[in-house]
Amino acid sequence: MQGRRHFLKLTAGAAVGTVAATLPGTVQAKTCGEINWTETVDTLVVGSGFAGLSAALNAKRQGLGSVLVLEKMQVIGGNSAINGGWLAIPKNPVQLAQGVSDDSPEELVNDQIISGRGMQNEAALRQIANRALDAYALCINTGVKFKKDFNIQVGGHNKARAIRTQHGTGGDITTKLYEAGVKEGVEYRLQHYIEDFIMDGQQIIGVKVRKNYRFPDLKTGSSVFIKANKAVILANGGFARNMALREAVDPSLDPTLDCTNALGATGEVTLTAMAHGALPVHMNLIQTGHWGSPDEGGFGWSNALLSIGWHQGASISVLNGKRFMDERADRKTCSEAIMKNRYQDGSPAYPIVLFNYDNYAKDDRVVRAIRDKMAWKLDSLDDIAVKFDIPVTELKRSISEYNTHVVDRKDPLFNRKMDTAEVLQGPFVVSRIWPKVHYCMGGLKTDLGARVVDGRSMKPIKNLYAIGEVTGGIHGEARLSSTSCLECLAMGIVVAETIKADLQGAV
Amino acid sequence: MNKLLLTALLSLAISGGAVAGELVKMKGSTKGRVNHEFIYQDGCQSCHQGSGKKNATDAACVECHGDINSIPVDETKLAIPEASPHKSLHYNQGASCLACHGEHEKKAPVCAECHRTWFDEM
Repeated sequence: MQGRRHFLKLTAGAAVGTVAATLPGTVQAKTCGEINWTETVDTLVVGSGFAGLSAALNAKRQGLGSVLVLEKMQVIGGNSAINGGWLAIPKNPVQLAQGVSDDSPEELVNDQIISGRGMQNEAALRQIANRALDAYALCINTGVKFKKDFNIQVGGHNKARAIRTQHGTGGDITTKLYEAGVKEGVEYRLQHYIEDFIMDGQQIIGVKVRKNYRFPDLKTGSSVFIKANKAVILANGGFARNMALREAVDPSLDPTLDCTNALGATGEVTLTAMAHGALPVHMNLIQTGHWGSPDEGGFGWSNALLSIGWHQGASISVLNGKRFMDERADRKTCSEAIMKNRYQDGSPAYPIVLFNYDNYAKDDRVVRAIRDKMAWKLDSLDDIAVKFDIPVTELKRSISEYNTHVVDRKDPLFNRKMDTAEVLQGPFVVSRIWPKVHYCMGGLKTDLGARVVDGRSMKPIKNLYAIGEVTGGIHGEARLSSTSCLECLAMGIVVAETIKADLQGAV
Repeated sequence: MNKLLLTALLSLAISGGAVAGELVKMKGSTKGRVNHEFIYQDGCQSCHQGSGKKNATDAACVECHGDINSIPVDETKLAIPEASPHKSLHYNQGASCLACHGEHEKKAPVCAECHRTWFDEM
């Protein structure tokens, strides 16, 4: 084996188009030669979000030897660290204590089948749902804290089964998984950017990495080669921040749409895997939230604030002071209606949403939004008209008309369900809205064991695995909220088991 | 390490009116933090073990200042008590110093990518 190791036929670096151009020193296709491995590990994990952290810890616990996690950014946690901390767990202890006794993994899968609209991978969803209590146990045994006695029903779920971390952020989970990994001997490195895979035919044997990389400057750092004896696990997340790729696969996603994700969600490793034969599926299925605000970064407070605004308030176009949609319609309908609000040069004319301040003055959703200047308390319609440059007469006419619709409990303009609407009389809470790109349902095709499938042979690429948002085809048309965290944690458990089984099979 | 820290404190005392962390000209056009003046006297190698762009990690920061959780921040200046950057709910020990601090130029901390009103450039 020793001789062969030093004389490998390399088929690396067939990266596509502009990607290749931006990768300095990429190993050229079909180079024959020797690789000076800088170091060797047993299991290599790419990415440090829920999926990567779970995989690394479980790989260690399964006895898969030395485990190294590479993260390209300067923080551990990827997009998971800034996620909302929601986790769907059928039969979780709070749910049972609440007396919800008719939930099950199968109930969750049924909800996901509806939302997947025929495009989902039912077997994969079932496997994940069946490991939900294991994922929950992983959190508990690493010290993750959840909100006390909290378990609610969230969008698209037919049961209350969503728990939430103590501080309402995925960081509550990523920090604990990371700290547990450090304690148990997993090694983590920041600022390591995957430049290429090193293949030996249909098997991945290592990676070329830019070490000391500083996002997004590819001239920083220098290249090293890391050998992976047992497995390379891709957990690099989605590509919602990759504007060129996003537009290439879904031209309807306007470049004016911001993104809820961390800046590193750019998917280069997904493209590298594709260049080595990995089969991409559902790349154009990208989830957008209509609840974004242009006045804050990331996911932000807007979604929670608008849970009041859509019900107790109204949305108004700044162009003409008129309502323009059923505020309670689904994501897609609202997104399309909002995005029609544009100035003549095509730039966004961010619509506003307003509701009464007095009834919600102490509500945390309002307090933090105003404190962080993504919403404003304004006393009158005149003030609103001035601040957002709205024709004042038309604004007043629209609100007065709207108020009669509230009293009548009937919306002849857009047929909105008016049972929760309030007569708007000020002072007001006002915020601006514009959709944000949120999640990539598409990515690399994997088998049930998380093995990456080569599109040419439709067989797994040896030693290459992928879990989490980097994979495609699991959720189908639309992913339900609180199910991504579950998927990542559960598949981290599954992939470690798969690798262990594959190694035993290979002996 | 303690000796280095002591030197740092002394240099801080000597530089008088300058605020710790203030960006001043160090070497030619290269700027640096005034409390790091003594490091520049030894050349760039104390922080860049190798050439500049190829080698910048936070190893040298941690050597003198200690790990992130142990470095105090002025809690009276936080937007909310939970927003302590050295005990971040999102990253805690998993954040590199470089995610927020720049030695040669002002930089907005990683937190400001979302929490736009909470932190200023430093």
